[in-house]
Amino acid sequence: MNVYIRLTDEFNRGRIRAMVSSGQAVVLHKLAIMSKDGDWIVREDAEATAHILAVLASHGAAYRFGAPLDERWLRGGWSSHLEHHEGQLRIRTDFVTRPPRLSPEALDAAWKDAERRSPPVLGIRELAEIKKTNREKDYAVIGELARRIPDGFGQLLCSRSARDLIGLADAHPDEWRHACEERPLLRRIPEGLEPLEAALDAERRQLMHANEQRLQSYKDAARDWAAIWPSVQRTAASMPLTQAHDYLVQRAEGVLPFDVS
Amino acid sequence: MRDEFLSDEDLDLADMAIEEVMAYWDLWFHQAQATNDEDQWVYSHGVFDEVPAAART
Repeated sequence: MNVYIRLTDEFNRGRIRAMVSSGQAVVLHKLAIMSKDGDWIVREDAEATAHILAVLASHGAAYRFGAPLDERWLRGGWSSHLEHHEGQLRIRTDFVTRPPRLSPEALDAAWKDAERRSPPVLGIRELAEIKKTNREKDYAVIGELARRIPDGFGQLLCSRSARDLIGLADAHPDEWRHACEERPLLRRIPEGLEPLEAALDAERRQLMHANEQRLQSYKDAARDWAAIWPSVQRTAASMPLTQAHDYLVQRAEGVLPFDVS
Repeated sequence: MRDEFLSDEDLDLADMAIEEVMAYWDLWFHQAQATNDEDQWVYSHGVFDEVPAAART
């Protein structure tokens, strides 16, 4: 069994606490083979994070640089990163509770949807939002994800193909007019293929820059935490994970802000 | 004419059983371990793209 699917089963023993996201979700949706690392959206409560830490402790995991797996930081959009080895395999496990670009309502709906899937995995529409990163390759994934969205409205909001968009607007005129309010680029459809392609390129760059700025704000907020991390990690390395976690929390308090504005 | 985003190999996944996709990914994952040293400071997900220089040990 895929190691990340097995871990997902362990995280969700007794209760759904984690849904597969990002690269592994792309694999589970049978879209592309990608991502050496596992990424989960976790329930934002103490029981969920404690259970996940206990599972990772049983595998001998250790923290990488990042926020402690503690809902006070996760609530502020931070991510937690751990790593362990199984034989020759390096297993990286990444966690958030507030994935970027998903509204609270969309996240709530994503949980309800994921709970119906085995293993729980982020749905295609929400995955397309998550993938609006600063990496070019993710926009190729979004382009193909959009074709799997079952409704014309959702496809209009996510498609990366000018040809597809022109066809969608023709096939779903009411949805197109409504979708223009959420995605201004769609108003360029009547101008034809080339202007629409240029607008798609500009939209992609705008999204990439927005994500770069988002990452930079977290990097800036983590500057003091980064400065003490080598000594924190050295001390934590001699502890079992649950004890190391408590130590990280204690050291991060007052150094790593909960919220990033 | 249709815009293409992914390779034929990736597009073929849609016709495979999920067990076949997992087996394919597993093979790829084992091969991808060869680049672990190159991406030791890199993040695939979350709010960091790489480990800050000050935090590298």
